Amino acid sequence: MNIKKATILAGLTLMSTQAYAANWLALQGTEKPNASARAKVWGFVQPEYQKTDGGELKAGPFSGQIMSPNVIRPDNTSTETFNIRRARIGVRGTGFPLDDKVNYFLLAEMGHNGITKLGKTGVALTDASITLNHIPGARVRVGQFKTPTAEEGLQAIHVFNYVNFTNVTNQMMLERYTDGDGSEVNGQPEFLADGVTPNPKWKPTGRFNGINGSVGAFRDQGIQVFDTFKVNKWEHSYAVMYGNGNGINREDNNNDKDTYVYWSSELLFGGKGARRQGLKMFAWNQSGTRTLTTSDAKGKGDYDRTRNGLGLTFLKGKYRAAAEYMTADGMIFNGSDGGAIPGSTNNAGDAQADINVLTEDKADGYYIDFGYKIIPKLELDLRYDVLNRGTETTAGERTFETITVGAQYFFNKKSRMTFNYEIRDQDAPGVPQSGAGSAPNQIADSLDDLLSLQLLVIF
Amino acid sequence: MKRLNILLMLILSLTSLNLLAETTSKPFAEKKVVLQISDPNPFKQTLVLNVANNLIKHYGPDKVDVEIVAFGPGLRLLMDGNANQKRISGLSNNGVRFAACKNTIAAFSKNLGHTPKLVKQATPVSAGVVRIIDLTSEGYTLVKP
Repeated sequence: MNIKKATILAGLTLMSTQAYAANWLALQGTEKPNASARAKVWGFVQPEYQKTDGGELKAGPFSGQIMSPNVIRPDNTSTETFNIRRARIGVRGTGFPLDDKVNYFLLAEMGHNGITKLGKTGVALTDASITLNHIPGARVRVGQFKTPTAEEGLQAIHVFNYVNFTNVTNQMMLERYTDGDGSEVNGQPEFLADGVTPNPKWKPTGRFNGINGSVGAFRDQGIQVFDTFKVNKWEHSYAVMYGNGNGINREDNNNDKDTYVYWSSELLFGGKGARRQGLKMFAWNQSGTRTLTTSDAKGKGDYDRTRNGLGLTFLKGKYRAAAEYMTADGMIFNGSDGGAIPGSTNNAGDAQADINVLTEDKADGYYIDFGYKIIPKLELDLRYDVLNRGTETTAGERTFETITVGAQYFFNKKSRMTFNYEIRDQDAPGVPQSGAGSAPNQIADSLDDLLSLQLLVIF
Repeated sequence: MKRLNILLMLILSLTSLNLLAETTSKPFAEKKVVLQISDPNPFKQTLVLNVANNLIKHYGPDKVDVEIVAFGPGLRLLMDGNANQKRISGLSNNGVRFAACKNTIAAFSKNLGHTPKLVKQATPVSAGVVRIIDLTSEGYTLVKP
């Protein structure tokens, strides 16, 4: 080894040991050297209450039925409900404390949400990873863990400042896995051309194109190389990951793998842990393919799915801010038929509402978010987010805009109450607002505001 | 000449005694405390450093003599690269001493397959528990946070 290499290696070693736990990559799975327990048990509980006005669809084949986003997830049965959104318990540490270079992180979900309900299980593993810290500048994490992508997904959920994710993160990044794109069900196209008689043998089977398992939960199974380097007041982090791209608690459904690349640079102001103060700038890319059955000539095939993002977070004293811009290319979640609750039968009785997926389209969106602590125990929050979905076709484009007004009351460092009121708006900019052909906009107008109240206790 | 020799010997003896005293304790210390860390719990590691810091803050660096004795699983506090290394360095600058049990070092070496590297502030002692007994017999107050 020459002197230059040795110097770089020594520098990396020094820098990486100084910044052992200072960002999401490090905080969720990396332990402090020689100062971590063999097994530290921790977790949190999030009971919540959510309510909409239960607005009905104003047009379309499901007109008169409650619009899908107006019922509360994951059961889609009520417009006003209490729920245990998350109840997680985890163990983390260094199994053999004398060798602090091997860390583990295990977290299980017992709440009622897209992980457990859609995964059809009462308890689901969300994280199970092992981190090896033997190579200076290149920590290695293997298993199931959060992917280095959008900030809302990557950050620890118990310090998330709102109850619900933004439209752009929710629809573009919180992945729902389906077998098909929703264009064909039970052997017949779901929307028949005018004048075509539906197959008389058709009847609701319950086998609509629904979600085939747990939501992705911003996690994947695979291997990640990452580390963090502190240079004066700056901290730089990188991550490169290679994973299944098929969500959690199951193997891959094809031979293509997802790749992830992430970089962040943060100017540190002080503090430590999840509420560390600083100005962080970050950028990331996720690239992979999804296997879907479609009704077009391609039939069952693999479709590209690419996501990119860049953003910043800021926290100093009483003030907090965040912004992120994201783009999607290829496979994009496209809501349900006619805005109806997935699986519901249309008014004509000849089709069930499927989950739809755009196979080769584009989307983009962003959010800006501000928080201000008026007193140490009370923070006021304001967030604006936009998602432009399906921008490749005029008729298919949908725009989602939400203004969220929020407040967080901190009982203590480990427990808080979050109040959110989401002023939600949806639009189909490429179709008429009224008259003939305006059904997409009439459906969009059915969207209600959402009120939510959530309590969090960390133990 | 004989008187001069005796005088020189006396001066040398006193100087060496004084030097010895300075390497083991603080000459103006009014309080003497030995802190025991023998627990693997990381919170205990932080706590023992907090206690040492509080003692220095309360009495002043010259008025209190503090030694932290690490043995058993508590020796992890003194392993090189420790997350608390900066604090150890800071306390050492204020005169806090750190003793590392040789028996534990031998046990760690057996488990690890190599001798663990300790922070430079650590001074190996034959046995942690013996060191505590010796210090308490010299008037140190034993505190186990």
